[in-house]
Amino acid sequence: MQEIMQYIPGNGIFHRIHPITKLIFTVILVILAVMTSDPLLLGFLLVVVFLAAWAGGLGRGLTEQIPLLLVLGVMLVFFTVLTMPAGGVLFPLIPTAVPFIGGGLPVTAGALLFGTILSLRFAVMLFAFQLLVVSTKPAELVTTLRQLKMPIDYTLMFLIALRFIPTLQREGIRISEAQLARGYAPGDGLMGKVRGLRPVILPLILNSLGKADTLGLTIDMRGYRRGKAETGSISVGALDGVVLSAALVLAAGVAAIQIIGL
Amino acid sequence: MIRIDHFGYTYRNRDHPVLRDISLSIPEGSMIIITGPSGAGKTTLCRALSGILSHVYTGTSTGSIVIAGRDMMEYDGIEELSHTVSMVFDDADAQLIFTTVGEEVMTSLENSGLSKQEAEAELVRILDLLEISHLADRAPYTLSGGQKQKAALAATLALGTQVLILDEATSELDEEARTLIFSILRTLADDGKTIILVEHMIDEAAAYADICVLVEEGAITASGTPEDVSRIIRDALPPITKRPRKAGGAPLIEAEGLVHCYGDLRAVDGVDFTLHKGEIIAIVGENGSGKTTLVKHFNGLLKPTEGTLTIAGTPCNGHSIPVLSRHTGLVFQNPDTMLFEDTVRKEIAFGLKNIGKDQSSIGEVLEEVGLAGKEETNPRHLSRGERQRLALACVVAMGQEVFVLDEPTTGLDLAESLQIMEILMRLSDEGHGIVMITHNPGLACAFADRVLKMSNGKFIAATEA
Repeated sequence: MQEIMQYIPGNGIFHRIHPITKLIFTVILVILAVMTSDPLLLGFLLVVVFLAAWAGGLGRGLTEQIPLLLVLGVMLVFFTVLTMPAGGVLFPLIPTAVPFIGGGLPVTAGALLFGTILSLRFAVMLFAFQLLVVSTKPAELVTTLRQLKMPIDYTLMFLIALRFIPTLQREGIRISEAQLARGYAPGDGLMGKVRGLRPVILPLILNSLGKADTLGLTIDMRGYRRGKAETGSISVGALDGVVLSAALVLAAGVAAIQIIGL
Repeated sequence: MIRIDHFGYTYRNRDHPVLRDISLSIPEGSMIIITGPSGAGKTTLCRALSGILSHVYTGTSTGSIVIAGRDMMEYDGIEELSHTVSMVFDDADAQLIFTTVGEEVMTSLENSGLSKQEAEAELVRILDLLEISHLADRAPYTLSGGQKQKAALAATLALGTQVLILDEATSELDEEARTLIFSILRTLADDGKTIILVEHMIDEAAAYADICVLVEEGAITASGTPEDVSRIIRDALPPITKRPRKAGGAPLIEAEGLVHCYGDLRAVDGVDFTLHKGEIIAIVGENGSGKTTLVKHFNGLLKPTEGTLTIAGTPCNGHSIPVLSRHTGLVFQNPDTMLFEDTVRKEIAFGLKNIGKDQSSIGEVLEEVGLAGKEETNPRHLSRGERQRLALACVVAMGQEVFVLDEPTTGLDLAESLQIMEILMRLSDEGHGIVMITHNPGLACAFADRVLKMSNGKFIAATEA
């Protein structure tokens, strides 16, 4: 099973640079994705993240996420088209030949554009964040966050969220197997699948709430929250400089296009 | 010294107290076992002793608890208490916060005030002691239940507190691993630490502990040496007589040369297996020996990598899970992986609806598992033993020829375990074939027709019980 958002050991560019450099790189990309509303520029940012991932030997992990992201993207576009009509009508979702409701649910140019921008923005942010997480040991990431004086509660929250993703994935599979053993057959089609989620999602949520209680008590009883801020110095190398410079050049380029309209 | 004086506790929004008039003295350097049925208040008592009830929860308490010469309420909070008391909870997974076992233990060591060099040396010692050095770089989600329990214990031992509480912290370990843990705890007690152990396997732990108390319905009903309390528990139960071996009927499951690989690992490695009508087979073996992987083939959740498998005359290859699960019902170790409805009746009806079966048998099945009258109760409000029996009822109601149970007595006391065994014997008398995985050799020998031992994916010994 492919675990999502988990550290992948390696020795590529991203593994060798300091976590703080990666953090700055991610933050710059996220800011650029939020500030930009040009689909071409967003597409360019997406290509940049992918090139960076391939250069760091992490391309395969990111590529495997594309089908999931495509589904999310299509859903985002679909819901935008349904809920935010704007601009000229391109075509109706229900053909005009259908009696009574024909011509309903119009697809507008504005909604299509906005949905595409949202999907691309989401993809850039997700992939940039994933690049940071899969190339950094969680302990190093936590140390860096502590060095940046992030409060211990937030650091622990971040660490726990990462740690429990694969646990939830596995628990979901276990619950699904238990229900399959009771003759449960998820329905066909989208609605069938949505209805069929209940026997899996409910135990998953209820069990997770139970775990959260024990987890909170463990954190208190092991005294983790009295942890002092890390004071170690941050040492960066030449490679960090290269990655940071590249990110800054990218930011300057995008800003120039946005502001000056190059 | 810990002194509990007439202590009682009622959780917020509950009408009835969970603990009533508990008085107990636990001398320094002693190891005490707390035992009793599920839902009796053992976990609440552990939470009282660790300060959670006084400093985290908001129920109402009576009486007092004194730890290390100070009343529980005099401590500033759970963090101050954490220098004196540590606790291993029953859900090991929720206590592994960091992303590797090594980090988990190391963080505890650094928090206990050791220098980096001291902490590194201590890390090696603790991992060696619990025989988990090979797991240091492994992420929690890759560990088995037993390995998680050892890792959670290692992180707690690393804190080096004067009082150590273990709430069913060995329930998923095999016999050998349990013995290792009990002997480590005894050594700690001999070094002056106070060990409080909630345990159902009191006969195994008896040789290591000094005192044992029996908790029933929120009160201490017996106390003394572990042998005395064990005798009291056994005297209250009908004697366990060995089940006469039944002549094998027609074969229900036939496996030949069954192999299952996870990547390069041969989790099941060339197993021949036959289950007959009316037969009870127990499969025992260490954690990770391939028991669960094997039984997941019996209802089609896994397909053999090599070999042949036939379930009630249906070859498993080429048939889907819904088809095979009409012949085999599988009850997982943790009942909470399946319970999701808001009443007991709906929970059983779910499986019946899935296979298009009439729901008139629900009352009868509940009667059979001793849950009559609980039709409208929320399954999550039942005790662990009751939930385990409900999970069994959900599958039994579907009436398949074969029932497979993965650790059906985990977290249950002897009386509750015997209730489960009685149900299995009745099903066997009705002609069903039963396969149960268990870490309890006593139950396996007393109730199974055959006991098969697995190691590294193979059967290494079979006992005609």
